[in-house]
Amino acid sequence: MWEIIKTSLPQLLAAGFKYTIPLAIISFFFGLVIALVTALIRLSRQQGAFMILKWIAGFYVWLFRSTPLLVQLFIVFFGLPYLRIKGILPHGIKLEPFTAGIITFSLNTGAYASETIRAAISAVPVGQWEAGAAIGMTRWQILRRVILPQALRVALPPLSNSFISLVKDTSLAASITIMEMFAVSQQIAAENYQPLLMYSLVAMVYAAFTTVLSYLQTYLERVVNQHVSVKR
Amino acid sequence: MKLTNINKYFGNKHVLKNTTLDFPAGQTTVMVGPSGSGKSTILRSLNLLVIPESGQYDFGKHHLDFSHKVSNKTKLAIRRETGMVFQDYNLFPNKTVLQNITEGPIQVLKQPKQAAIRNAQKLLVKVGLANYGDAYPHELSGGQAQRVAIARALAMNPKYILLDEPTSALDPELELSVLKVLSQLAAERQSMVIVTHNMIFAKRVADRIIFVENGEILYDGTPEEFFAVNNPNQRIKNFISSMTMEDL
Repeated sequence: MWEIIKTSLPQLLAAGFKYTIPLAIISFFFGLVIALVTALIRLSRQQGAFMILKWIAGFYVWLFRSTPLLVQLFIVFFGLPYLRIKGILPHGIKLEPFTAGIITFSLNTGAYASETIRAAISAVPVGQWEAGAAIGMTRWQILRRVILPQALRVALPPLSNSFISLVKDTSLAASITIMEMFAVSQQIAAENYQPLLMYSLVAMVYAAFTTVLSYLQTYLERVVNQHVSVKR
Repeated sequence: MKLTNINKYFGNKHVLKNTTLDFPAGQTTVMVGPSGSGKSTILRSLNLLVIPESGQYDFGKHHLDFSHKVSNKTKLAIRRETGMVFQDYNLFPNKTVLQNITEGPIQVLKQPKQAAIRNAQKLLVKVGLANYGDAYPHELSGGQAQRVAIARALAMNPKYILLDEPTSALDPELELSVLKVLSQLAAERQSMVIVTHNMIFAKRVADRIIFVENGEILYDGTPEEFFAVNNPNQRIKNFISSMTMEDL
């Protein structure tokens, strides 16, 4: 058994560092950007033509939260090549597996995280907006310098949750031919006929990755909480 | 500062009814009245945190007609020339005391950082908190926090300071520390408009008293007349006696 672990663990870790972690980190980064923009659009009090943008943002969040991630991956990777529009897209949209993964994971994370960020911004007392406005700050200045730093404190634990979920969800990328950790474990299991051992081993590697991330979360929470005790 | 025929509705509630008020510079105007009377709404109209539906507002070179949309530029300009102190301080919890005070001067007035810090330190001395620059808001008592908020308002070098029940959240001893600072500002002829429930303080510092009830101005005049035993207005007499607990 140790022999199998000794030979397969390096392969799993290599796949982890080459695909699992980059997929998770890059998707989470884009997901956060999408989430922030979406949250700000949905919180905005602008009227008129802006309402269309608000509707699109709301629709996007609804769409990605109400459909399974695996199905989303399949649509983007296997489905989009068939999105053929005469004259504009004669060959559909063909994406590299990794690109399709990044796009899907980013959009999926963005939809969930936008709700987290929206709630966190709403949780900052309205008096903070007023205090910023009273000294003549623009809405953007107040948001950037007063509201977001405080919202981060509220958003950090649920965002860390999203990130940890994302790390594990990248295993679904195996289904769109990305050779990430889970795909590699499947491949090895098919060769050595040790599915229990191989899937348990890959499970432990995921657990190790997320445990490290949990420690990082605790540390970050301490950093953002250090100057805030009770909310006034 | 002058409001003319201001009307404000919150939903169906008519909170300000054709209100006309003048706030002379260099004076301390104190607004009193029962809760929900509209006095805070008047105060917030002065820095456009509340925008009335109709009426005019004159402030320095600004002339606003509320039946037209108030531009963002005008809002920011008027807020730069006024300071506001809130009942629950509203200090920025993620910034130190010094950063709270220099935020406006540096970010809004674009003052050089060093000059803004020097000025902030002077203001901290003025409000009796010289050594608190590096403290965070959660480390302060309510009275200290409110004095920082006053320093933050003063740092903008505003033409007027608007104070919305600045001591209502404080116990009497802490309240006194804030009232001392405000008395000093009043003595320096800083233009102020204060909403308060503290009648003793109102009597002491006010150059002028305004009594508001149900969105209407029931009194606008000297504190001497307002607090006079022979004030002919029975409603005001009742209000004062309940605020000072005379009949207890």
